[in-house]
Amino acid sequence: MKKRYLLLMAAALFVMASSLNSYAGEINILLDKLVDKGVLTPGEAQQIAAETKEDVRKEIAAGKSDTLPKWLQNTKLKGDFRLRYQLDHAKAANNATSNRQRGRIRMRLGVESKVNEKLLVAVGMATGLNEYTTSNKDSIRSTNQSSGSSWAKKPFNLDYAYAKYTPMPGFAVIGGKMLLKDAIWEPGDLMWDTDITPEGVALDISKNINADTSVFLKTGVFFLEEVSASNDDPYSMHIQPGMDIKINDALSLRASVAGDYFSVRGFTLEGSSVSNTGSYKSGDNSYAVPMANYTNIMPALELKIADPFKAFNLNVPQLKLFGEYVRNIADIDPYTGKSGYMLGFNLGYDKLVKFGDWTLKYNYARLEKNAVLDILPDSDRYEGKTNIRAHELALDFGLGENTWLGLDIYRAQLLTHPHAPSTVVQVDWNMKF
Amino acid sequence: MKSKSLVFSGAAVLFLAAAIPCYAGKIVVEGSTTVLPIAQRAAEVFMNNNSQAEISVRGGGSGVGIASLLAGTCDIADSSRPIKEKELEDAVSRGKDPKANVIAMDGIAVIVHSSNSVKALTKKQLKDIYTGKISSWQAVGGGSEQIVVVSRDSSSGTFEAFGELALDKEKVRQDALMEASNQAVASVVAKTPGAIGYVGIGYIGESVKALELNNVYPSKETVLRNRYPLSRPLFMYTNGKPSGDCKAFIDFIQSKEGQALVEKEGYVPLG
Repeated sequence: MKKRYLLLMAAALFVMASSLNSYAGEINILLDKLVDKGVLTPGEAQQIAAETKEDVRKEIAAGKSDTLPKWLQNTKLKGDFRLRYQLDHAKAANNATSNRQRGRIRMRLGVESKVNEKLLVAVGMATGLNEYTTSNKDSIRSTNQSSGSSWAKKPFNLDYAYAKYTPMPGFAVIGGKMLLKDAIWEPGDLMWDTDITPEGVALDISKNINADTSVFLKTGVFFLEEVSASNDDPYSMHIQPGMDIKINDALSLRASVAGDYFSVRGFTLEGSSVSNTGSYKSGDNSYAVPMANYTNIMPALELKIADPFKAFNLNVPQLKLFGEYVRNIADIDPYTGKSGYMLGFNLGYDKLVKFGDWTLKYNYARLEKNAVLDILPDSDRYEGKTNIRAHELALDFGLGENTWLGLDIYRAQLLTHPHAPSTVVQVDWNMKF
Repeated sequence: MKSKSLVFSGAAVLFLAAAIPCYAGKIVVEGSTTVLPIAQRAAEVFMNNNSQAEISVRGGGSGVGIASLLAGTCDIADSSRPIKEKELEDAVSRGKDPKANVIAMDGIAVIVHSSNSVKALTKKQLKDIYTGKISSWQAVGGGSEQIVVVSRDSSSGTFEAFGELALDKEKVRQDALMEASNQAVASVVAKTPGAIGYVGIGYIGESVKALELNNVYPSKETVLRNRYPLSRPLFMYTNGKPSGDCKAFIDFIQSKEGQALVEKEGYVPLG
């Protein structure tokens, strides 16, 4: 019975949709005649034409609304899949070189559903390991899954799960394991690996000052570890006021200053790449225990230029220049560096939606030993370690709708001797749905 | 940690409470930058005539206006296009009833130097000229001179409308001269023999020649009857039939006095 009803509704919608144009045409002819005869003014005819067409379209929209269950109308499914070949070329202190080749996949699947007009719940799953391993030091924040292990089944873990409450435009409270962009803004990835999904509560506030200027504030409190034997678990706090300014049609600017506090002293942190100053856990040198609480100040700036090479008749839609600086003001190890910076650009298309769209990205990063906690930086850049400097060059090329090829090259080395340089080459085929 | 975070979140909420505007007791109009000059001018005159009235007008684009109307953060959504199917579905699912109120017609005339022998173009030829596929008047039945393309700058509503109606959202050629006003476009075209430009229909003067498009000459009559290809109605959307202050404001725009303002801003009044 239900099936028959749905079929009938679908048929009715199809007929209505296909006849809408001819119906609108007939209305226009009739209204034209009434205007010719002086019964209606042309303005009245325009109003009637607009009302009539929209009434029909409203009926169709209402029909569609009736045929789909409410929960389905309010739910979106999204995902992406990446196929990667990765070459890691490293030179050790004794000049011995090593090459590691990996086939890697990344699969992410997400569902978000509107509970009501103001409340959204989202959940996402992703490949990747949820435990630190000595052979995959980046594993805890990476969503890559290396192929191998005799084709063993691979883990597919909870990547994010959060609720977002927006009681009014420009104000959102997010709670749970959330997407990084909801909690923190960073133009590059000097401090935060973009795959990190912080856990806690965040506020995301923005307000338009005028047509060209708006301000925002991102702030939150996040849990870092849960230590059953401790009353004072490791946590972090983030506050980031910022501003967006549209200078003119071609030029816009985003700037912010972030402050982060990490209460971590004396605690073992999962996913540490053991590059900060720390005391080692007895009998296990794969974990380092921070000797101080970290307090980071990070100013960041992004300048967006539309049509940057217009004067040279080159059709390049956008150039983004960005810079960020980070300093840890905590009292820790006076003999090592506590600052870092990144400078870079993104050139080309904002989104790759068709064949031939492209983006070229370059950045240079320098991150001193105790600049940031080593559980945070990009896991592809020298395995997420600090005490490094690195160049990254990436090119993405659109193959068609929602699919593109990528080439990403990292050239990095330690700041201290031996430099032990490494090169990582990643060739990707991306697809999203 | 607990007390720290509570203080922190409390401070943020207070900050927000101070920052959120209060909409009570005034009309908030938001949306299309094309409709913006009409809405601003009409609001000024309406508030002068009605000392109790308070109207806040802002741009943002048609999509922004309609989204705000559906979210309940504005009372009137300015739009230079009919509401989209997705927006209607969104409206239905939210229990809203967007109602189109036509307040003016927008017509864009294509103009050339008065000495130009070309009298008419097809819409396809116009698009090819503005996107750079045609560069000589000879290709469209004119003389051998190169075409000098004049456009409005990208911040103008006319530029946006021309892009949608004539260019199917393709980009204007890179070497086009971008002018800041209708008057400036007309002036450059009047002085440059090979030039082509576009202006609001109210700016056709004796110093330039308006072209037929798909065999229809741009006039108030052809725009009002939707026969000229570069014409479209402009809307103010309300949630349900307009009532109270919103009705008074829209009635004013549709009145003789309001339509005179529409014409002054370079648009075609409803007649």
